[in-house]
Amino acid sequence: MSKNTIVELASSKNPLVLDCGKSIGPIKTAYTTYGKLNDSKSNAILICHALTGDQYVASEHPITKKDGWWSLLIGPGKSIDTDKYFIICPNVIGGCMGSTGPNEKNPKTGREYGLDFPVITIADMVKAQKLLIDSLGIKKLFSVIGGSMGGMLVLEWLSKFPSLVFSAIPIATTTSHSAQNIALNELARQAIMADPEWKSGNYNEHNTKPTKGLSVARMAAHISYLSEQSLHEKFGRNLQDKTKIEFSFDADFQVESYLRHQGFKFVDRFDANSYLYITRAMDYFDLKTDNNGSLLEAFKDTKAHILCASFTSDWLYPTSENKVITKTFNALGLNVSFVEIDTDNGHDSFLLNEPEFFHTVEGFLDATYKKL
Amino acid sequence: MSLFNTDKDFNVISNMIPSGANIIDVGCGDGSLLDYLAKKKNINGRGLEIDQDKIRECLAKGIAVMQGDADIDLIDYPNKSFDYSILTYTLQATKKPKEVLEELVRISDKAIVSFPNFGYWKIRLNLLLNGTMPVSDDLSYSWYETPNLHFCTIFDFINLCEESNIKIEKKCNLKNHSIEKYTKKNWFDNFLLESGMFLISKK
Repeated sequence: MSKNTIVELASSKNPLVLDCGKSIGPIKTAYTTYGKLNDSKSNAILICHALTGDQYVASEHPITKKDGWWSLLIGPGKSIDTDKYFIICPNVIGGCMGSTGPNEKNPKTGREYGLDFPVITIADMVKAQKLLIDSLGIKKLFSVIGGSMGGMLVLEWLSKFPSLVFSAIPIATTTSHSAQNIALNELARQAIMADPEWKSGNYNEHNTKPTKGLSVARMAAHISYLSEQSLHEKFGRNLQDKTKIEFSFDADFQVESYLRHQGFKFVDRFDANSYLYITRAMDYFDLKTDNNGSLLEAFKDTKAHILCASFTSDWLYPTSENKVITKTFNALGLNVSFVEIDTDNGHDSFLLNEPEFFHTVEGFLDATYKKL
Repeated sequence: MSLFNTDKDFNVISNMIPSGANIIDVGCGDGSLLDYLAKKKNINGRGLEIDQDKIRECLAKGIAVMQGDADIDLIDYPNKSFDYSILTYTLQATKKPKEVLEELVRISDKAIVSFPNFGYWKIRLNLLLNGTMPVSDDLSYSWYETPNLHFCTIFDFINLCEESNIKIEKKCNLKNHSIEKYTKKNWFDNFLLESGMFLISKK
């Protein structure tokens, strides 16, 4: 069974040096584990969560009381089998589920960080994850797996710590955000910051919460996770509990009601400042620019077995973006596989019940485990 | 297609390939050939396959496979990425066989290509006597539903290679499983062989 653990990593003497030039330490990392680490410590899989994910990957979420976000994929006897593998899923730094982030107390001031929290990057998150892996005594991860932002973390692992990664599955992701990706994130951030309850990021001190802004941010993002086809099939122009339009601005259409619901329930479990920081980290992620303009350079030292996956109806991180990644691995002569799963479920597909996808992951992991 | 699935045919290919070679099998299906070659010749194999179910089977065998289309995705590989590329009974199903052949000899030092031979006497006879497009156990599709867009004869293939500046190094007889140095067009091959298989490279 899993348990949520919070561990202190780095220290004030030996802090985590961030890309922005600032240092923090000690830092906290909250993580869950599932299964058992074998004696040779060779069966560890690191799961990297997406923007609004957290460490509750395969166990009940303490706030929403829902199953873990990848509980369809991970568990005893499932595609990522916890009877076989040791699963580690940390909350990223900048997150709001126990890892060091903007809603933590700044030890220097005794006040909550708010916007005084340093701007972090995907690489910073991975550096913190590396400290966790070190603290667990694991020398090499059997696999690093993640979708969306989680996929960025996977790619960063391959680039920064190639010798620590035996295999990797970056899913529905990109090596850098497009202008459209950044634009959507900026829309979300502006929605949060435009909420008067945001109070320049110090809402907790004022005992308020920018719930309206954060829920609009979530609504906008949620649209980007679905495909036109899935929205059409789910809702069409159906009306919500009524037979005709009411000439008002209430939620006449089911799709409006659905989005409002998505927004409202999100604010209970997610912190507005975390949303700002993590979306910023995603926007700043750019493996090509960070490696002298060459993705080949970014991955030159990895020898990992890699499976890349994309989804046909994903327009947020479309197949073309994922193919840039596979093309790079191919050019490096790496042992890379690529699959494009045919589905109408859009970017969200990687979190949904997609048996084809699950079986693909399972086959890859099983066969790769034999190569250890 | 069912034309090509026996261990003997795999063996002919295996005999043309040195141990430890880097190989891409274009249209690799469930990865049987790559698996065979990995076991027999310790090759480092890659597959390209369009069908998702087959990709899953490849992955379960531990074979690295890219979902893709020979007509579109070979362009993504740098020059000389592989020692050998293999295209078995797929050429006739490509949209642009000439471009695909040129890509094969670009991304690899040598390419092994096999295809059903429409110059085979039974196919000629079938058309002559019945006056309809040949349908047999091996070519089981009716003309209106066949995925095979570009059938050719062994002569047609040789002509195309000449036109495309491709050198034919060896020819294989899949009937008696012999491999010979290619010298020139042979009327009997074109008439008697059900399928052609050649080892080609860039001139």
